[in-house]
Amino acid sequence: MKKERYLFRWAGILTISIIALSGTGIYGLSKVLKVSSQPRADVIKIDNMIAFGKLEKAPVEFLHEAHTEALAKKNKDCAACHLTQNKRMFPKFKRIADTDRIEVMDIYHKGCISCHGEMKVAKEKAGPVECEGCHREKIQHLTSRQPIGFDKSLHFRHSEAQENKCELCHHEYDEKAKKLFYVKGKEGTCRYCHKEKTKDNLMSMGLSSHISCIDCHQKNISKSLTTGPVTCSGCHDPAVQQKIKKITPIPRMDRKQPDIVMLKNAPKGIGTDTENTNKMAFVPFDHKAHENYNDTCRVCHHESLKQCNECHALAGMKEGNMVNLEKAMHQVDSTRSCQGCHEAKQNDKNCAGCHVFMGKERVKEDTSCLKCHSAPGVEKKKASNPDDEKTLVKTMLQSRNLVPGTYPENNIPEKVVIKKLSKEYEAVDFPHRKVVNTLVKNIKDNKLAGYFHSQKGSICKGCHHNSPVSTNPPHCGNCHGKPFDAKNPSKPGIIGAYHQQCMGCHKEMGIEKPAGCTECHKKKKN
Amino acid sequence: MSISRRKFLGWVSAAGIGSVVGKSALAAGNKHFDGYQESLGVLHDISLCVGCRSCEAACCKVNELPVPDKPFTDTHVLDEERRTTAKAYTVVNKYGVTGKIGPSFRKIQCNHCAEPACSSACFVKAFKKTKTGAVTYDASVCVGCRYCMIACPFEIPAYEYNESFTPRVMKCTMCHPRILKGQLPGCVEVCPMEALTFGKRADLLNIARERIRKYPRKYIDHIYGETEMGGTSWLYLSNVPFSDIGMREDLGVTPAPELTSGALSVVPLVAGLWPVFLMGIYAISKRKEIIFKEELDEAAHSRTKEDI
Repeated sequence: MKKERYLFRWAGILTISIIALSGTGIYGLSKVLKVSSQPRADVIKIDNMIAFGKLEKAPVEFLHEAHTEALAKKNKDCAACHLTQNKRMFPKFKRIADTDRIEVMDIYHKGCISCHGEMKVAKEKAGPVECEGCHREKIQHLTSRQPIGFDKSLHFRHSEAQENKCELCHHEYDEKAKKLFYVKGKEGTCRYCHKEKTKDNLMSMGLSSHISCIDCHQKNISKSLTTGPVTCSGCHDPAVQQKIKKITPIPRMDRKQPDIVMLKNAPKGIGTDTENTNKMAFVPFDHKAHENYNDTCRVCHHESLKQCNECHALAGMKEGNMVNLEKAMHQVDSTRSCQGCHEAKQNDKNCAGCHVFMGKERVKEDTSCLKCHSAPGVEKKKASNPDDEKTLVKTMLQSRNLVPGTYPENNIPEKVVIKKLSKEYEAVDFPHRKVVNTLVKNIKDNKLAGYFHSQKGSICKGCHHNSPVSTNPPHCGNCHGKPFDAKNPSKPGIIGAYHQQCMGCHKEMGIEKPAGCTECHKKKKN
Repeated sequence: MSISRRKFLGWVSAAGIGSVVGKSALAAGNKHFDGYQESLGVLHDISLCVGCRSCEAACCKVNELPVPDKPFTDTHVLDEERRTTAKAYTVVNKYGVTGKIGPSFRKIQCNHCAEPACSSACFVKAFKKTKTGAVTYDASVCVGCRYCMIACPFEIPAYEYNESFTPRVMKCTMCHPRILKGQLPGCVEVCPMEALTFGKRADLLNIARERIRKYPRKYIDHIYGETEMGGTSWLYLSNVPFSDIGMREDLGVTPAPELTSGALSVVPLVAGLWPVFLMGIYAISKRKEIIFKEELDEAAHSRTKEDI
């Protein structure tokens, strides 16, 4: 008897542990496996109930386009599922707002199950009517949905089609009257007010854009006008997005923004800035040109289209998240700041060949500051009124030299024979002038690069680094000696220096030739 | 509340064993060891490697290894991912990394761990971490169990399977004999890109940190080997994620010996106490029998008395 009990106990322990082990394993796997079909753009995860607390059942994966198609076959339109308020169709399912838990749940259950049931009775292909049919733990469909940005091209096509009636989309909100109204010249990006989530009666970006876009497109369709998409994939399918017509060149978006502007400390009455605290020379800025370099205004401006110095004062302000003006303009890891964006441009194929070798030094050269901070400083003669300032900015921008500077051709050696490497291999005939000319040609049409390389010899510094610019720079071997100098561990030896510089640059610029050792230097014949 | 005799004894013995085991495991555990102060190493800057296989050729030459059929200048060899063998202490592999122009190359060889797994697994002490940083191998004591090959997290040691009588475990020696002579390791000396830097491990870490600071957009902000498996003498800098070039990122920072020393330290204790324990049980059961016999005798005796 005792023995039996003993065996029984062991069997119990084993079974429990096996069940526990296999259970967790299978459960974990099943969450990823068995995803059917291609990714689609119309997968909507219905988890609205989360607003009322923890979900009791798994969220429902809803294929919107499958439903639209099925309803279209029965001659039903959007109104079968969507209500209309103020003549606008509402994107939520059979309701305007999320009132309370039971009510919203009932709307879904009644709406979905009754329709599926009717179809089932009519012996048609129908969706599930039992709980687990919709509330499934496993992911059934992969989504390819991608948010669609309203870039400048798309914006232009809309404003052109609507004959520049900005008020059709843009509005302000009157807190007291609880009404939307329009102010000319105050148009901003939707995201300024419409955030990620709906709060009180301020709709989320998703909700408001679906109401506005689809409703307008829908109305145009009913009037048989050419219009934008109304289906999920029409806007959100990455492949379809690629096919959206692009206008080139895009005419300028007009919101009374300045063509040119002087970047300086905060204006009077904002922050604690005074003209005395501003020690750096102001920066003339070509606003109009920069508009063309970017897809949206948001790239530099945040959601609001205010001037930088309204929030970023010299000492930092609460409105600007305490990011002071210096940081706002120079923060290297930010895509919004001047320097952050300009430095990112150095990753371009034509630039990276040289710039990849240029380390981030703790202190910048003075000359690089003065490239931007070129306006007469506060201590010098300053523009007294806005018009004078404008002329000043204009002349300063016009006086900028945007052509990369080089020495006259006879100062640039045509060929340099590199003999240092000729131990196992023959000497290298380095086509020096050809390389210089190619580098100059590559940045000829680039205004940014042109301006920063306008000084004679600045392009030479790509290879002839760490020595003053000159037509007669030191030989590479004057600094780079034997390899693995323990006192100078970060300075490669002459062989390493040549290989790193030449091959590193070619790799970054995507130059495939010369490939292999012998295309630069021939193997010596013994 | 009543405690049975059996329960009480159970508690006491459990507490006794617990305290003994706990203490001894700690006492046997390694004291904190940061590696030899002056230990040397090599920093491999993966961003600089161009896959020329010069290091492979030099390694073959200085270690007098058999020359392979395909010449070292043949870069088609790189099309296949290789590992170290008994005939090649080091190999270079090519990796395609998405989002990067051109392939990446990584040199593989023994990493010369600060506290090597191979040496902790070796019961004849054939492997030794020397003060130079190199992990050396003594073939004269090796019994050929190949535990080192299983223990190594980087899958480096290889075995001379086709040597019938004197098979050896083969792996990079960091050119230990050359280092002692004041020479550079063969691979480092020959690298045309200077992608390999030889020096004191502490200096190499500073060089690597300085490169990361100077080129923040270029390098991944991690020095592979600084902490992996408790630190290795070979260090790696990369411009692509280490996992994309086949480097394990799941190794943790604990040296291999520390993972096993706790459990292994109990072995002598268990081995020593086991006979005592068994003898004890035997004695107890014997005593039971004696008592039983005595009682039986007594009962029989008294019964006979009563009967009479």
